Amino acid sequence: MSEKKDYNYNSPSKFNDEMKTIQPARRPTELEKAQLGTMTAMVSSFGLPRIIISGFLLVLFILTPFVGVDLPTQITNIINRFSWNAVLVLAMVPMIHAGCGLNFGLPLAIICGLLGGTLSIQLGFTGPMSFVMAVLISTPFAVVLGGGYGLLLNRIKGGEMMIATYVGFSVMSFFCMMWLLLPYSSPTMVYGLSGNGLRPTISLDGFYNQVLSGFLNIRIGNIALPIGALLAFALLAFLMWAFLHTKTGTAMTAVGSNAAFARAAGINVDRTRMLSVIMSTWLGAIGILVYQQGFGFIQLYNAPNNLTMPTVAAILIGGASVNKASIPNVIIGTILFQGIVTMTPTVMNSMIHMDMSEVIRIIVSQGMILYALTRKIEGAK
Amino acid sequence: MKAKRRMLFSLLLVLVLVGIAAAMMVIGRGHTVYFDNKTLEDYQGQEYKAADKIVVTVKGEEVAKLSKRDRGMATWIGQNFKMILEVTQEKGGESEIREIDLKLPYNMDGIIINLPAILADLPEEAWLSEFIPAVKEEPAEEEVPGEGDDFGLGGDMGLEGELGLEDGLGGV
Amino acid sequence: MSKKTNLPAGKRALDLARNNAVPIMFIIICAVFIPMAGFSPSYLLNEIITRMGRNLFLVLCLLFPIMAGMGLNFAMTLGAMGAEIAVILVADWQIWGIPGVVLAMILSIPFSALLGFICGTLQNMAKGREMITSYIINFFINGWYQLIVLYIMGAVIPIMHASIMLPRGYGIRNTVSLLNMRQCLDDLLAIRIGGVKIPVFTFLLVGLLCLFIVWFRRTKLGQDMRAVGQDMEVAKAAGINVDRTRIISVVMSTVCAGFGMVIYLQNIGNLPTYTGHAQIGMFCIAALLVGGASVEKAAIGNAFLGVILFHLMFIVAPGAGAFITGDSMVGEYFRVFLSYGIITLALIMYEAKKRMARSKAGQELAEAQKKEEDA
Repeated sequence: MSEKKDYNYNSPSKFNDEMKTIQPARRPTELEKAQLGTMTAMVSSFGLPRIIISGFLLVLFILTPFVGVDLPTQITNIINRFSWNAVLVLAMVPMIHAGCGLNFGLPLAIICGLLGGTLSIQLGFTGPMSFVMAVLISTPFAVVLGGGYGLLLNRIKGGEMMIATYVGFSVMSFFCMMWLLLPYSSPTMVYGLSGNGLRPTISLDGFYNQVLSGFLNIRIGNIALPIGALLAFALLAFLMWAFLHTKTGTAMTAVGSNAAFARAAGINVDRTRMLSVIMSTWLGAIGILVYQQGFGFIQLYNAPNNLTMPTVAAILIGGASVNKASIPNVIIGTILFQGIVTMTPTVMNSMIHMDMSEVIRIIVSQGMILYALTRKIEGAK
Repeated sequence: MKAKRRMLFSLLLVLVLVGIAAAMMVIGRGHTVYFDNKTLEDYQGQEYKAADKIVVTVKGEEVAKLSKRDRGMATWIGQNFKMILEVTQEKGGESEIREIDLKLPYNMDGIIINLPAILADLPEEAWLSEFIPAVKEEPAEEEVPGEGDDFGLGGDMGLEGELGLEDGLGGV
Repeated sequence: MSKKTNLPAGKRALDLARNNAVPIMFIIICAVFIPMAGFSPSYLLNEIITRMGRNLFLVLCLLFPIMAGMGLNFAMTLGAMGAEIAVILVADWQIWGIPGVVLAMILSIPFSALLGFICGTLQNMAKGREMITSYIINFFINGWYQLIVLYIMGAVIPIMHASIMLPRGYGIRNTVSLLNMRQCLDDLLAIRIGGVKIPVFTFLLVGLLCLFIVWFRRTKLGQDMRAVGQDMEVAKAAGINVDRTRIISVVMSTVCAGFGMVIYLQNIGNLPTYTGHAQIGMFCIAALLVGGASVEKAAIGNAFLGVILFHLMFIVAPGAGAFITGDSMVGEYFRVFLSYGIITLALIMYEAKKRMARSKAGQELAEAQKKEEDA
């Protein structure tokens, strides 16, 4: 075990990157072939940080029985959190595919979802119907706002990520004002005393709380599986996978990997990118609704911001890069990230009575994003 | 040659900075000085009576007017402490002005000076003692980083809310 | 560029308005808001001068990376973190007053320089994405900062005073009182004119930095930096060590930001340990942009004008918001919206301009080729 680790440290990713670019130009000698054993191949395909993170999670799992933490509960938690977050992470895929980079503008998508959710409650829908309506209402918002967002991103190719970040912030702070000013009146949502302005946290009891997670919730032994929510994710993920294999989907991939080539092949680059942004926004809107049904609350004002970094980090941990992402990346990434998020506090707490999870989470997620940003993009531009 | 000179120059700069820092550490050490106008009982078999009234002036500012058994306070930066005492021994008696210079120990934050003892020119151990603040039992402080931000923005930009189960409910 | 001088006066005025759209917009906003907020002029003046003393140094330190073409340095926060660690130590060692401030500044240099070096190195690895990288570095280093301050200080790094430590025995409290160095720089040589306190010494320090910047632009290193900012390839061809120059510019920025943060903290009088630095970068950048700077061009004047306008808006917005909507929260959100919006706008303008220049260059190239073919 320790030997493996040493080896990993000795082969930093930069080396692997170089190897990748060198390989086609020059055939490796026998000696080099021997050196490029299975281990290196695995490291290069999986990436050093990912191995460290998986190793860390593995250690946490191994430790659980020794520090007196109940493993089935932990696994249930991880699966639950996976079901809340996976759709949001899936929302990253289209934009990465189309070469728009990591969608730091996720708050925009979340705002669309929030509009859907709050309007659905405002219009008097309850129970599962409120969820359906929330999805339906948020769709036009996602199309319009996502369209505008896509239009903007098409004008500033190359600087998407920074601008996306600040577009997200601007829209979020704009809606901070709107939540206070829009004429919402449903007594479950507005401030009790003044009667205007939405509360920062709105309970979903009686609306779409647990509408997916509670559906077909099966217990196997001590582990509870929110089949409904997982199925919803599976459906969306399958649709995404299928879409990526259609003509438009492959065009999107082509735009992402080499825009000039795609243009030469007669693909309308701007339109494809716009479509990807709209898809991303819509999925983000649905994602936040799925998150809310599991969490049980709608969070407004500055809350949309809180999900951006974890979501971006999750897909990167799953193996995506700034211009490449796949469905397995989403699944692996969400499980790994949510695993760390769930396990560190409990395990650390019972082990050394010190909750360092917050700090670990920041370092892991930001480190991951930083790693992805500082790597050379393969075959781009 | 040029590289060597540059090296020397930067080394010199570092040395100067370290020197300034060291100087600052000596001259900038702050102390809180407390003055007690309290009878010192039984120092080597003798008793030193508290004066009726002592007015303490530090840096030209009157910091305390002490009757018997009173305590005053002043802050001082550095170790060479200077104060002017206006001492009235008996009620209605003549007051006498004394200028006192003393050296404060570097490692003490709070220093109690017994004025009757120092007026009697006793050695340091007689008039100096360390002020140890009473340990306050405070309610456990919430240690959530990213709180109390003046601008109404999420403190550290999105790394908390993810686990926002606890914080999320706070706003209801 | 030379075409501009031949334009008629009317068009030139229009050009001027277009080039300074942001400051003009803010002047209008402030002009509308000030009467609504209903503050007395002397209060406003006092606030503005205090805030200028507090923030100018921090804003000015953004100029170095802009000079080197690295855009807005969101990672100036690193300098602030370095300064905060220094200030915590100084507070624990009970060094008071001006010596305390000087010591904190000196002590912050190694921390900020190291963090700046890390930041510059990473930014060199992500050329073309410097800004987003510096933005993420912020958060990444913030994680390490929290690790140090929340877990290592008191446990490994000795902290003597329980007053700044969390009750559990390690980690620093949410706020550290800096009462003993509060406004000691501001009070030095301070002048009062009709109830308005002018912190002369702080302004002297700011002036010193301005002079340094002006002088630095003329040095060999400063010239190199501008060359790198203009075109990295050309600079490299001219024999400039591009990567090194870029790193130096970031290190200078973070070290200055560290000094600026010490000035900022001594003015505030206490240290919000975990939130003090969080918004610094954003507000300084917004202020600089409000002053009419752009991502690739910024001058000292922009910093001064920006701090005045931005903070004026910041002071009056809640009052104006309450006046318009009856809810001061709206005003508070509005000023946040404006600060984010202004940064967004500047970034969009920068990228659009860059793209336009690129396509223009492409067209020119194509035309030149065509001409060649024709001939």
